[in-house]
Amino acid sequence: MKKWYYNPVLASSLKTRMRGWRTAASVTAYLGVMLFIAYIFFKIYIEAQAINGISVNANQSVGLQVYLTLAIIQFALILLITPAQTAGVVSSEREMQTLDLLLCTKMSSAAIIMGKLLSSLGFILLLIIASIPLFSLVLLFGGIALEDIAILFLFYIVTAFGVGSIGVFYSTLFKRTVVSTVVTYVTIFFLGIVSVVLGTYMMAMHYSQPSQPADYYIPFILYINPGVGLADLLSTQAGGQYVLPYGIIGLLIGQVGNIPQGWFQQLPFWVKNIGVISIIATLLLVISTWSIRPNKRMGARIWKVRRSG
Amino acid sequence: MLIIRDLVKRYGNFTAVDHLNMHVQRGQIFGFIGPNGAGKTTTMKIIATLLAPTSGQVMVDGVELQKDPIKIREKIGYMPDFFGVYDNLKVMEYLDFYGSAYGIEYRQRRRIAEDLLELVDLRDKKDAYVDTLSRGMKQRLCLARCLIHNPELLILDEPASGMDPRARAEIKGILKELKRMGKTILISSHILAELSEICDCVGIIDRGRMVVQGSVDHIVRRMEGEAVVRLKVLRDVDRAVKLLKEQPMVTGIVQEEQFLEVTCKGNDEELWKLLRTLVNSEIPVISFNKAEGNLEHIFMEVTSDEEMVL
Repeated sequence: MKKWYYNPVLASSLKTRMRGWRTAASVTAYLGVMLFIAYIFFKIYIEAQAINGISVNANQSVGLQVYLTLAIIQFALILLITPAQTAGVVSSEREMQTLDLLLCTKMSSAAIIMGKLLSSLGFILLLIIASIPLFSLVLLFGGIALEDIAILFLFYIVTAFGVGSIGVFYSTLFKRTVVSTVVTYVTIFFLGIVSVVLGTYMMAMHYSQPSQPADYYIPFILYINPGVGLADLLSTQAGGQYVLPYGIIGLLIGQVGNIPQGWFQQLPFWVKNIGVISIIATLLLVISTWSIRPNKRMGARIWKVRRSG
Repeated sequence: MLIIRDLVKRYGNFTAVDHLNMHVQRGQIFGFIGPNGAGKTTTMKIIATLLAPTSGQVMVDGVELQKDPIKIREKIGYMPDFFGVYDNLKVMEYLDFYGSAYGIEYRQRRRIAEDLLELVDLRDKKDAYVDTLSRGMKQRLCLARCLIHNPELLILDEPASGMDPRARAEIKGILKELKRMGKTILISSHILAELSEICDCVGIIDRGRMVVQGSVDHIVRRMEGEAVVRLKVLRDVDRAVKLLKEQPMVTGIVQEEQFLEVTCKGNDEELWKLLRTLVNSEIPVISFNKAEGNLEHIFMEVTSDEEMVL
C-alpha cells in the first residue's frame, strides 16, 4: 500500500544528495566558517570587555553578543545558499529532459514540487541542525535561553521555506537554471535591501506628517522581508537592549513606538513576518504546481478524479 | 487498444495535428511514420497525457483521455525521443525511482526491476551509474523504465535514433519479445526498413494528417500495384528479354548482363505463370526473386501527395 507520506522525488533526491563526500565537506566547511567567525567575534568582545573593565554581567554580555553575531551570519548564509539549492530544481529537470517522464507517472504535480522543495531544504535543514552545538556554546555564558535558540531556528526554517519557494517558483517559470538562479538572487536582494529602504522611507513619510500620527504603522513591504523579522526577533530576545521595539526600522527613523491596537497588531512583528512569508511561499508553490501541470486543460478533471479516487 | 478520432492540435495559427484518425489493435506493433514536423511527437505526447488536444477524442483501452488521464497513465508507457536519465543514479535506483513514482510497493518494484534488467540485458550493469552506460544501454534502460508499471500500451518515439546497427538490432529483438508478451506498441521511426520488418501495421502522417494506414504488405500492394522480379539467366539473355516483352503482364524490363529486373502487374499467381513460361521456353533461369515492398519508396511518394485512404 502506498504510504501517504512517502514522496519518491524526495527520497531519491535525498539519497543521491547525501551520498559521497560533497555533502559532508559542505557541512564541515559551513561549520568551520561559522566557528571561525564566532571565535573572532568572541575574541573582539573579550578584548572590549577587558578595556572597558569587568562587570558583573560581563559573561552574559559576551554570550549575547556572540549569539547575535552567529544568528545574523547564519541568516545571511541561509539567504545565500537557499537560492542556489532551489532555483534549479525544476529547470534542471527540463534541462535533463526528465520532467516529462516524471509528469507521465502517477505522481501529482504538487507532489513533484513538494518533493523537489523539501529535498533542497533538507540540505539547508542539515546545516541548521549541524549548527545547534555551535549555538549551544552560547548557553555556557548565559543571557540566552534554550527556547530563544529554538525560536530562532524555527525562524530560520520558515525563512528557508520562503526563500526556497521563490527559487522553486522561478525554476518553473524559466527554462534555464542560470536565468532562474540569477532572478532568484535579484528577488532576494530586492526583499533584503530595497524593501527596507522603501519601507523606511514610507514610515518616515508617515510619521513626519504635521499632524504627528500616533497610530501603529508598518508598511506591508516590510512584512515580506525576513531580515526585518529577524531584527525584531533578536531585539526581543536581547531584551530590547540593542534595538528598539520597531527593530532596525524604528532605530532608523527614531520611532520608539506607539501602543499597538487589536490582536493582530499586538502580535510580535517577527510572528506576523513569518506568517506573511509562509502565506506568500504557499501561494508561490501553488502557482508552481499549476505551471508544471502537463495538461492544464485536463487539470480540473485530474483534480476531480483524485478526489473521488 | 488505441482509438484516435478527429484529433486536432493547434498552436495559434499553426495546426500540428489535423483531424487525425488512427486505430491500433491490441497486441499490434504500429509503425508511425512521417517526416520531421509531421506531428508524430505531438500526437504521441497527447496520448501520453503531456499535451491537451484542441479537439478530438483519444481512447486507450476504452478509457477516454480527456475524462481520466490518471487511468491512462497507468495503461501507457511513454519513451520520448531523448534519453531523460538521471546521471547521478545507479541503474537499479533509476528503475526503483520510477517504480515508486508509479506507486509500486518496494519489494514488488525491486523484483520487477530485476526482471526488466534481464529483459533488456542490463542485469550485470544494475550497480553501474547511468552516466557510465553507452548510448544503446541508456536507450534500453529507458525502455525498461517505461515498462516498470507493466503498461498495456507502449508509446516509443524514435527509440532507435542515433544508435549503431547492433544497438538497433537489440532494440528490435526486445520489441519482438514485448509483442510476444502481448504488449501493444506504437512506435515512430525514420528507419523505415526496420519498421517494415517488425510492424504489423503502419500509418504515414504528413502535415498533421494521416495519409495512409494499414498493414505493410497491404500498403505496398495497393500503392505500387505492381511487383518487381529480379531474375538471372545462365545464357540466352536476348531471347529471354524478347519472350518477356511478349507477355501482357510485363510492363518494364531492365537488363544488366545476365540479370533482369522485370516489373509486372498481377499477383503471385501471375508471377508463377511468368516463371513457367520462361522455363517451358527452355530459358535457363537460375534465380527468380520477387522484390519485397519498399516502404521508403512509398513514404517518399505519399508524403508529397494528397490524402489516400486504404
